[in-house]
Amino acid sequence: MSFKVIKPGFLSTIQDYGRLCHGAYGMSQSGVMDEHAFSWANYLLENNFNNAVLEITFGGVELKALDDMLICVCGADLGFKINGQLAPIWRNIQIKKSDVLSWNLPIHGIRTYLAVKGGFETPVLYGSRSINLRENIGTKLAKNDVLSCQPSSGQLARFMVPQYLPNYDHDIVLRLLPSYQYDTFSDSQKILFFSQSYRVSQANDRTGCRLDGAPIAIKKDKMISEGMSYGSVEIATNGLPIILLKDAPTIGGYLKIGTVFSLDLAKLAQKQPNAKVKFELMNIHQAQKERLKFNQFFEIEPNS
Amino acid sequence: MHKIILAGENSILIYFGDKIDNSLPKNIANFANALKNQFSDVVIDLTPSYTSLLVSYDLSKASYFKFSADVQAILDGFEFSDSNQQSNLIHIPVYYGFETGLDLERLLAEKNISLDEFIQLHSSNEYLVHAIGFSPVFAFLGEVDIRIQAPRLATPRIKIPAGSVGIADSQTAVYPSDSSGGWNIIGRTLLDLSLDKPENLEKFKTGDRVQFYAITRNEYLKFGGEL
Repeated sequence: MSFKVIKPGFLSTIQDYGRLCHGAYGMSQSGVMDEHAFSWANYLLENNFNNAVLEITFGGVELKALDDMLICVCGADLGFKINGQLAPIWRNIQIKKSDVLSWNLPIHGIRTYLAVKGGFETPVLYGSRSINLRENIGTKLAKNDVLSCQPSSGQLARFMVPQYLPNYDHDIVLRLLPSYQYDTFSDSQKILFFSQSYRVSQANDRTGCRLDGAPIAIKKDKMISEGMSYGSVEIATNGLPIILLKDAPTIGGYLKIGTVFSLDLAKLAQKQPNAKVKFELMNIHQAQKERLKFNQFFEIEPNS
Repeated sequence: MHKIILAGENSILIYFGDKIDNSLPKNIANFANALKNQFSDVVIDLTPSYTSLLVSYDLSKASYFKFSADVQAILDGFEFSDSNQQSNLIHIPVYYGFETGLDLERLLAEKNISLDEFIQLHSSNEYLVHAIGFSPVFAFLGEVDIRIQAPRLATPRIKIPAGSVGIADSQTAVYPSDSSGGWNIIGRTLLDLSLDKPENLEKFKTGDRVQFYAITRNEYLKFGGEL
């Protein structure tokens, strides 16, 4: 026992770091869309990096605490309140039995994470607690669900230093590794791709993010299907990019112009339709250096 | 022939050929096993497909150049086989009927062949699992006889019932669970391939073989089939 769902919201699902070794079975990676906010939430609670959290998209959620618990909310500002009073995010908080937690509507960003000390103890499905609606693995939050976790108390205050708080309202630049079929795109195609500001389209979910903009003229659009990594950018038949995200299929046959650096995808996870997005090139050494630094800080061990 | 390219900040893609070839799936599966065994602490995930293998690895154990060089060394010393190798053979019973095969009547007219001929052409072939994807347990099987090949529907269906058997170009497959999709549906199996049975996750592996066989309407109904 730990939380009872009064209002489930638009799209709220339990997620963790994901299902990392099921590619051969055609199963998506799944897991949190914003690894940055997720990792901070677990870090501030001194949790394991992989502890399961509640990913709340857009808000509309109300939960009642059934125990005293230490919690931490990180990510989008969705008007988080405790018992009707605005409450801080990006810091650990002690809540009491019968407290009501609520998230209203997006103010800055769209996805926020509720972490509890020790993590949510929902069923482990194929090695992960992550829900994947496309694959019918688990279900989204529903009214009267009970989310189990352990009672907890007695932690010192821990919070994110204000100067490191992300600003989700800035336009974003997605750094792209020149992977897959990058070399088969011509200079003029690349110039069009890297020079324009795309916009996030309405077709934007946990599977992928389609962008609107000036289409790239392509002669050949399909190839033999191959494994697609997280963040790879397909150029679809209409010449526009689709960025493949956590719930994407494992293989596909569109040409891919590159792969977006994972920590930039965390920023994309906070964007609404119509947000401006640009691409710039990144080299593999820089990407590995930055990601390794992130993994070491948060003690992320993907092979554990 | 083999080529290693960058796929992501912690992944590479290995090409084993540039066209679909029946010797590739088993060879790729064997290579994937060898790689996993030799680098069990470095390799995170392996995703085989028709001609390639996507490999993700632990950044804290190897950099892109280090890992690519290690993989190249194994590739150079690996013995790929041309001959038919031992692999699982999976039998799948199908009721090829107009009630379950939503596109069957149209295909017969388009191809100008009888139902019996169609069933014969689809079920006499032993197929190879070239890839698994689209959704879990969805195995892409090849190759379908040219006489019954058909392109995907222009407009995918919103819901295709679990167990439906479809054709798309030279590929055939079974939909393991209810899903949307654009394949030409020619029949349905009673075999439960859904993840309601978690062991189904490992039902198909690339390189396995699949043989369909026809069952009658009565057999289909007797064992609980729905129309």
